[in-house]
Amino acid sequence: MKRKLGALEKIDADLTSLQYKVRRDPQSYSEDHQQQYMQYQTLRDLLLQNPSTSDDTGIVRLNDLVDFVAHTADCYPKAAGPFADDLIQILSLHHDELQPDLRDKMVSSLVLLRNKDLIDSATLLNTLFPLLVSTHSKSLRALLFQKIISDLRSSNVKATNHRLNRTVQTVLFNLLSSDRESTKGLWAVKITRELWKRQIWADARAVDIMKEACLSENEKVITGGVRFFLGGDKEREEAADESSDDEIDMRTLRHQAGINKKTKKKARELKQAAANVKRKERKKNAPHPLNFSALHLLHDPQGFAETLFSKHVQNSKSKLSLESKIVVLQLVSRLVGLHKLTVISLYSYLLKFLTPRQNSVTSFLAILAQATHNLVPPDILEPLIQKIANEFVSEASASEVAAAGLNAIREVCARQPLAMSDTLLQDLVMYRKSKDKGVQMAARGLLSLYREVGAELLKKRDRGKDATIALISGGVKEQRFGEEAIGEIQGIDLLEQWKAEERRKRREAAGLPADVATDEEEEDEAENWKNWDVESDESDDSGGWINVESDGEDINISDSEDEKENGPAAKKAKVANSENGSKAQSEEPMQKQISKLLTSTILTPADLKQLRALQESAAVKSQMPGAKRAALLAARHADDAITADTIEAAAAIGKKSTKEERVAMAKGDRDEKHQSTTAKRKEKKESEGKSTTNKEKARKKNFLMTLGKAKGKNKRSLVDIKKTMQGHLDRSKRGGKRGNKGH
Amino acid sequence: MSKISVAGVRSNVKELLEYSNETKKRNFLETVELQIGLKNYDPQRDKRFSGTIKLPTVPRPNMAICVLGDQHDIDRAKHHGVDAMSADDLKKLNKNKKLIKKLARKYDAFISSDALIKQIPRLLGPGLSKAGKFPTPVSHAEDLANKITEVKSTIKFQLKKVLCMGVAVGNVGMSEDELISNIMLSINYLVSLLKKGWQNVGSLTIKATMSPPKRLY
Repeated sequence: MKRKLGALEKIDADLTSLQYKVRRDPQSYSEDHQQQYMQYQTLRDLLLQNPSTSDDTGIVRLNDLVDFVAHTADCYPKAAGPFADDLIQILSLHHDELQPDLRDKMVSSLVLLRNKDLIDSATLLNTLFPLLVSTHSKSLRALLFQKIISDLRSSNVKATNHRLNRTVQTVLFNLLSSDRESTKGLWAVKITRELWKRQIWADARAVDIMKEACLSENEKVITGGVRFFLGGDKEREEAADESSDDEIDMRTLRHQAGINKKTKKKARELKQAAANVKRKERKKNAPHPLNFSALHLLHDPQGFAETLFSKHVQNSKSKLSLESKIVVLQLVSRLVGLHKLTVISLYSYLLKFLTPRQNSVTSFLAILAQATHNLVPPDILEPLIQKIANEFVSEASASEVAAAGLNAIREVCARQPLAMSDTLLQDLVMYRKSKDKGVQMAARGLLSLYREVGAELLKKRDRGKDATIALISGGVKEQRFGEEAIGEIQGIDLLEQWKAEERRKRREAAGLPADVATDEEEEDEAENWKNWDVESDESDDSGGWINVESDGEDINISDSEDEKENGPAAKKAKVANSENGSKAQSEEPMQKQISKLLTSTILTPADLKQLRALQESAAVKSQMPGAKRAALLAARHADDAITADTIEAAAAIGKKSTKEERVAMAKGDRDEKHQSTTAKRKEKKESEGKSTTNKEKARKKNFLMTLGKAKGKNKRSLVDIKKTMQGHLDRSKRGGKRGNKGH
Repeated sequence: MSKISVAGVRSNVKELLEYSNETKKRNFLETVELQIGLKNYDPQRDKRFSGTIKLPTVPRPNMAICVLGDQHDIDRAKHHGVDAMSADDLKKLNKNKKLIKKLARKYDAFISSDALIKQIPRLLGPGLSKAGKFPTPVSHAEDLANKITEVKSTIKFQLKKVLCMGVAVGNVGMSEDELISNIMLSINYLVSLLKKGWQNVGSLTIKATMSPPKRLY
């Protein structure tokens, strides 16, 4: 028995040792390799006669041989070709009958051959992909998926392999378009999504595959495709963030390497970490990849949105569940809002879902809001708003319902203010007197929105001070349908004033006459551009003096118009001067209409910074909460999605929360573990690998080590104690050991 | 190039005008385009920007404009010698995609009377907005000629699927100063649109239709 086992082990060892030897010296061992290869061939032929055999010894042996041949294939490239063909053939014909172990071994051997560059990626993928689609084994699918992804990744590492990508993308696309009803397309969706997430595929072709998936007949494939468009970009962003998260602290590692035992392994690890850090650094400095969102890369969004809507939503034959229908609608509305498409039937379709009893009605409200943009004719939206108002917002309806309705109306009107009529608006605004907080807030939101975008629809007493003033002075122009606001650089007049003031002051200081000396101006500009590089380095920290400004001098609300115009600018100039030294600026006389400044000079980085600061302070001055609201409104971008949460948010305010929720809210973002500052500091110091003080060392010393000394102290005789005490006294009289007290 | 100066812009514009007006004069009015390359800009994170601005001088005086309007506006348009279509003409297109596309291609911009513009999406479908030529409203109280120059002198910065773009800022028939002020205004506006100002600007080039490009920045 014992001997037999030994023999078996010998065989095993034989193959591995042979493999080792072959790799050292292929030529002299070619005979042995030939022998093994023949054995492999016989076993293979046996297997082909009866692929589903479960004859243990034969299969185990074949398993080993396949492994051996694959590992030594690069030494005998002649034999490698037929071997790869064998594997491909066996796998593609008999993958369902083979023993799982053998099958997995064959797959990984094939991948190994690819890694040794004996077959090309296209062959490998062309073999693996049909298997992935057709096999019934879950474990094989998982293996294949992983292998396919990793192969695509590795062939795109150094440079994008456009050719390979294109062929794979075509295969995936054909898979989707050939059989629209099967679930097989799901694999195309999965692979594309994974590669999109890893930023390996970021082009319009990948998006095209997903578009095809969205238009398939199978519900799973459809939702897979649609979910990609709704969340794929976020996923990619998160993945990118994650990979840059794990920072390696080289200093700590080096320090530790100096202290710990020096081994080869440690040295290797340190080297690797250094290389890693270097690679990351390089990655950080590399130019941004072009990450266009999938929604932007779509070709013909109008056609896509129309077909999606008519095929999956409007079509009475489509058998999608409500949930997937909502997802499809979300995508349609997202497209409509983002690309400002015209899908007029969408709005009338949504009309019937806008009742409080409808399942997941907040999603429908969000969809409606998302599908609204400034080119939607107001008369299409009016009935929808009317219906929301009638169905949701009434005294009789529950407060959450009313709040959700009001919120939805506000979201719609934020995108298309013209869809509101004055009577309805005045009605809705009355709800700000409601007892329920959620309703109150939602109504206030609507009110403040219309104070900004259409105050004339409100009752006079609701308009508020700023809107009334603006209306009387004719500051706000009535918005008209189809009108694009002509852009201007906000606060450019402020900048101009500031510059004029600055110039006047400098001239006064220099005792010069008021007219312009051109060479001085040129000089100024040159100096201004000197800051260029400095500023581009410290990109984000905006110079300290902006903070100084907001310290409080801005909150004087002056009554007379004149003072408002000149006072602040002058003050600002002072502050800027004292903080920044004399910042040189070029200057131009003021002009009406289009600012002369803009047409004759180029704004330098310093100018832009000043401009931003001026804008900020002007906004602070005009009206505090309003400015905040305007900023919020501006921050909201068409690229952002609206979800049901946005609609429900107002209702949540009024809702009475449970105790647990309240406790959680009160805790908020506070740390779970409370720690004193010293403890935190200590921990930080420790984690950075910094040294400790002697005191700390003494405190931390192992108790058993301190025991001997303590014992010795206790054992002293009285004489000894007296001696030491006397010594101490003498010393203190002398003024310490060195006796430097001076006598 | 690390900086851009007024003098540099001026000399480039001079060279450009000299080339197009004297060295190689073409048989048509060349348009001057400002080409912009962006850098350090992540279109997913920084969000795409778009903005319109009115230039002091009309960059392309030969722009074809069509008025879609009621009778009053059609009469006014005829008076100014501008093409015009009525609601019935639009209905005759019958939502035919090809015809609408043809219409959108024929004109550079559309102006529509207040009463009609709300009907446009219903009458014409997505054709016009797809081409980026959704009409500008005009009311009876406004002067049509003024409106037309306004539309002609308005330019739009819009980022599409690539990180570069071009806008027409003038033509070679304009005087040097006019061209410079148009260019300056466009550059300043563009920079103010960008989140990080000049740090986002990779290159600025001006080029007439058939001239070699001149790099400003």
